[in-house]
Amino acid sequence: MEVNNSSVEHLPQLSKRFGHLRKITERPGPFCHANFSASPENLEFLSTTCKILIIGAGGLGCELLKDVALMGFNDIHVIDMDTIELSNLNRQFLFRKNDIGFSKAERAAAFINARVPTCHVTPHFCKIQDYGEEFYRQFHIIICGLDSVVARRWINGMVLSLVKYDDDGSIEQESVIPIIDGGTEGFKGNARIIIPGLSACIDCTLDLFPPQVTYPLCTLANTPRLPEHCIEYVRVIQWEKENPFKAPLDGDDPQHILWIYEKSLERASQFNISGLSYRLVQGVIKHIIPAVASTNAVIAAACATEAFKVATNCYEFLNNYMVFNDGDGIYTYTYAAERKPDCLACSNIPRSVSIEDPNTTTLEDLIKQLCEDQEFQMKSPGLTTLIDGKSKTLYMSTVKSIEERTKCNLTCSLGELGLKDGQEIMVADPTTPNTIIIKLKYNTNEVEMK
Amino acid sequence: MSSPSPKSPELSEKDKKYDRQIRLWGEHGQRLLETANVCLINASALGSEILKGVVLPGIGGFTIVDGRIVTEEDVGSDFFLDTQSIGQSKAKCCKELLQELNPDVRGDYVDESVESLLESRPDFFTTFKIVVATSLSEKTLIALSKLLWERQVPFFYCRSLGMFGSIRLQIKEHRIVESHPDSRQSDLRLENPFPTLKQHLDATNLTPKVPWLVVLYKYLQKWIEKHNGKFPRTYQDKEELRIMIREGMTADEENYEEAIRAVNSSFGGGKPPTALQNIFDDKSCNELNKNCNPFWIIVRAVRDFIQSENNGYLPLAGVLPDMTADTESYINLQNVYRQQAMQDADNIFRRTQQLLRSLGLEEDLIQEEDVHLFCREVSGLAVFRGTKISDEYEKSYKSVHIAQELRSPGSLIEHYVALRAFERFQTELGHTPGECNVETDTAKLKSVASKILSEWGIAETLSDDLVHEICRFGGAEIHSVSAFVGGCAAHEIIKIITEQYKPVNNTFIYNAITSESACFKL
Amino acid sequence: MIKLFSLKQQKKDGDTNSKSGPQKKASAAQLRIQRDINELNLPKTCTTDFPDPDDLLNFKLIICPDEGFYKGGRFVFNFRVGPNYPHEPPKVKCETQVYHPNIDLEGNVCLNILREDWKPVLTINSIVYGLQYLFLEPNPEDPLNKEAADVLQSNRRLFEHNVAKAMRGNYIGSTFFERCLK
Repeated sequence: MEVNNSSVEHLPQLSKRFGHLRKITERPGPFCHANFSASPENLEFLSTTCKILIIGAGGLGCELLKDVALMGFNDIHVIDMDTIELSNLNRQFLFRKNDIGFSKAERAAAFINARVPTCHVTPHFCKIQDYGEEFYRQFHIIICGLDSVVARRWINGMVLSLVKYDDDGSIEQESVIPIIDGGTEGFKGNARIIIPGLSACIDCTLDLFPPQVTYPLCTLANTPRLPEHCIEYVRVIQWEKENPFKAPLDGDDPQHILWIYEKSLERASQFNISGLSYRLVQGVIKHIIPAVASTNAVIAAACATEAFKVATNCYEFLNNYMVFNDGDGIYTYTYAAERKPDCLACSNIPRSVSIEDPNTTTLEDLIKQLCEDQEFQMKSPGLTTLIDGKSKTLYMSTVKSIEERTKCNLTCSLGELGLKDGQEIMVADPTTPNTIIIKLKYNTNEVEMK
Repeated sequence: MSSPSPKSPELSEKDKKYDRQIRLWGEHGQRLLETANVCLINASALGSEILKGVVLPGIGGFTIVDGRIVTEEDVGSDFFLDTQSIGQSKAKCCKELLQELNPDVRGDYVDESVESLLESRPDFFTTFKIVVATSLSEKTLIALSKLLWERQVPFFYCRSLGMFGSIRLQIKEHRIVESHPDSRQSDLRLENPFPTLKQHLDATNLTPKVPWLVVLYKYLQKWIEKHNGKFPRTYQDKEELRIMIREGMTADEENYEEAIRAVNSSFGGGKPPTALQNIFDDKSCNELNKNCNPFWIIVRAVRDFIQSENNGYLPLAGVLPDMTADTESYINLQNVYRQQAMQDADNIFRRTQQLLRSLGLEEDLIQEEDVHLFCREVSGLAVFRGTKISDEYEKSYKSVHIAQELRSPGSLIEHYVALRAFERFQTELGHTPGECNVETDTAKLKSVASKILSEWGIAETLSDDLVHEICRFGGAEIHSVSAFVGGCAAHEIIKIITEQYKPVNNTFIYNAITSESACFKL
Repeated sequence: MIKLFSLKQQKKDGDTNSKSGPQKKASAAQLRIQRDINELNLPKTCTTDFPDPDDLLNFKLIICPDEGFYKGGRFVFNFRVGPNYPHEPPKVKCETQVYHPNIDLEGNVCLNILREDWKPVLTINSIVYGLQYLFLEPNPEDPLNKEAADVLQSNRRLFEHNVAKAMRGNYIGSTFFERCLK
């Protein structure tokens, strides 16, 4: 169903439907945020201007889509690379049995669009990495319902790279896209807000993510004691040795799982280890995290509430982390996670380096500048950059094999190396604990390209 | 050892669908869920969200009781109503869209108000495993609370008002075998090893390959000898033991290192913790009768076992944590624990059979596997005795607790009082505070709140801002707040049905403005 | 600063249809590995080889022990650093067949910091030193090649002999080891 976006015709329809939301967006109140002004414009902003992206259409994603649709958001995008499986149906409530095998993003979007005619969900059936800055830049808010640390770090890095800084180093507010991130595991969950460049980011708080359970290899090989040891042995060592299906292990292939199950069972009985079950084998191989509908509903709801606060200013939003656990009673706790002053992802504000003329300045000159400049005083900087999204090592003196292959760059001019005005160069040096980023600022406009 | 059955180990369709939750509450929990029926009184965004949270995991059935007609405003906050529902029966529409979620679940509805049903067929409500209600008038809440208390049907009353929400559980007695504590203390019996353990440990030589438990045992013996039979209790005692172990090392043996780290947490297990002792002392345990829950018969058997033949020690759980060791010595030690645990459980099972006979009950009322599970979980047993909601509405209700809480700044008990005032306002003035006029209603709500507090004999008052905010809501139901509270309530229902995990005791308050919550015992 | 944050006045533009748009910023993992590599402080027995100098995430480490059982040998390890570095350790495999208690014939290496004891504060350098140590002090207590470990424990001379024989390119038991002398 096509949605009419012209606000004049749209609003009367909204006014009845969203009678509940109007109470808290059109009336002033004692707990409202200082920036809040009670007015129909708040809901109008949600329905006509605000663009929101939901990452993940799984347990959290389905709930998030429903929640933001009923909180007055209209222009909603959802991105997910996965297809629907039977084991999703106990919580991913926008899917039914006949949806199995189809795109989560597409089915979820279709369901919401049919149920909530005021909103329009656009699905993206792909990886988050398939899109670049141009895509992510268009959103006002991004909500993540992910189960992977890698994906969280990627979107964190992406949103941080969209943050623009003035010449004096202060943040241009329009470039900031808040991330609201939810996570669940069994009866535990958390919801948080990240204002990129202003509050703790994913990389600042990496230690909050539990590392994957691993066992010493020699235990697996020689002294297994638990059924898990037997399964891991078969997965890590035996599979590679015997390569039974001439293919890498696929946790979704029942034949693969069956093979691992049988071999693990053999190994377990050889060592008199009991308690090995098919379910356990699946759990270990696929790193299955238990999941229930209720925790996902709670965490998604908390994220949606925060998105609504951020978008309407009606209340001050969460500062900045809430943990939830209803395994024993119901427990929540909110606190302000702190930024890491040396965070590689968010504390790395590019520093400008002025270049007189990129056509005469060589890479060697730049390195000399980094070593002699009062601001840097480096010793043996190693330089890399990204050209068309691909990493390029410009020069590194400390590693012989790299030095040999990159020393030819030293005599090239920056122009010849394809470095443009505004190019970001990553510089590692023993004098700084982390790799820093410098931004080339050319004083002449013309660059001769060879 | 018997060979595994040749049938395919792959899970059934249903097991696959519910796999991610069966990993939490087990197949036995899932079976309980699949045979339970719940009743929802008053469909609303909150009601739908609660039901969604039990329909998806596969509850047996649900019934919605609501006599109202769907409005456009309802559709705006409740996902389980659509534009076509407007003007139709709310109970019917909501039931249809919820049932569509899961074909395993039976849905039903009664297109009648709870008030008329209470009058014509009060027994209707007592046919359910659990009743959950939203948006009740004071009068109906009190009547329902009394009925369900008397008939021993667990009852949840949930609220979602603007940015605030609450869950109140009313249950007479609830027993939990599997409380799933976050961390379990291992019960290793090192200070008082049972005979087969002592035999095994004495016969095992200390090598770098044996579990740390053996190392710790041997050095514990030396320590005890040195201290005339005393056990290490204080920090200094334990430090001395740690030093003794360290001095015994010849290389950097990992099992010695693990033994040193384990000194602090390995002693003192095996005695009933206070909460369990209270269960043993409970009247229900001491005065068994024909109608008592089998839980109490097993508790009694366990208590008798502990007192009469196990020197005050619990039946052994038989769980040995993983420790660096070669396979054989670990597995042998594990078997020593497992066999003793099996023996203890068998002993207790025989006692339950005797008790059943003496009570004139069928012997198959308690299965062997029930007792084994019970023994494994014994240190975490919990019994929950609740209070009646209607008591909170008695004129004489005086809660010292509420008064005390109200004095601590920022306490969410204030929100409880505010929600109560909201309901009283509706009773007395016949409309929702702030529905049309925030300003005049704020003044009226303020005086209603003061009246309630003075009835309770509490001198404190509600803050003007909170009263104002309640009126600003004007009875609005915000979807994300309902979804939060609904998710929580759904899991509390599952806890009661599966008899696993400790439920909220007994009132949960949520403030979405500050993203805070708190629990109170009312 | 956060309190002043407001979305309302923001206009967003962006292209919904563009699938391209390369990333302009290096990931945290890339920044971290660049530092690790730039600050590699190799013992004199070790060298690195970067087949593609633009790719700092995939490289080889060559260890030529100058003392101990493995003196005179040349052992190549393959390093693969993932996008979750340093939250997760790099994957390291030994590409040279070696008769060693802690390295199996598939090249799996039993070194605690490569698995259960990895911490994000550790660096590539820590792993290099850990691997080097394995050649100086093979540890029969944590065996991956049980036969080699048993020999080391029961007969040090025989173990020494077997290592030398294997490095020259020979059968030890039923397993053939390719020559790996420098």
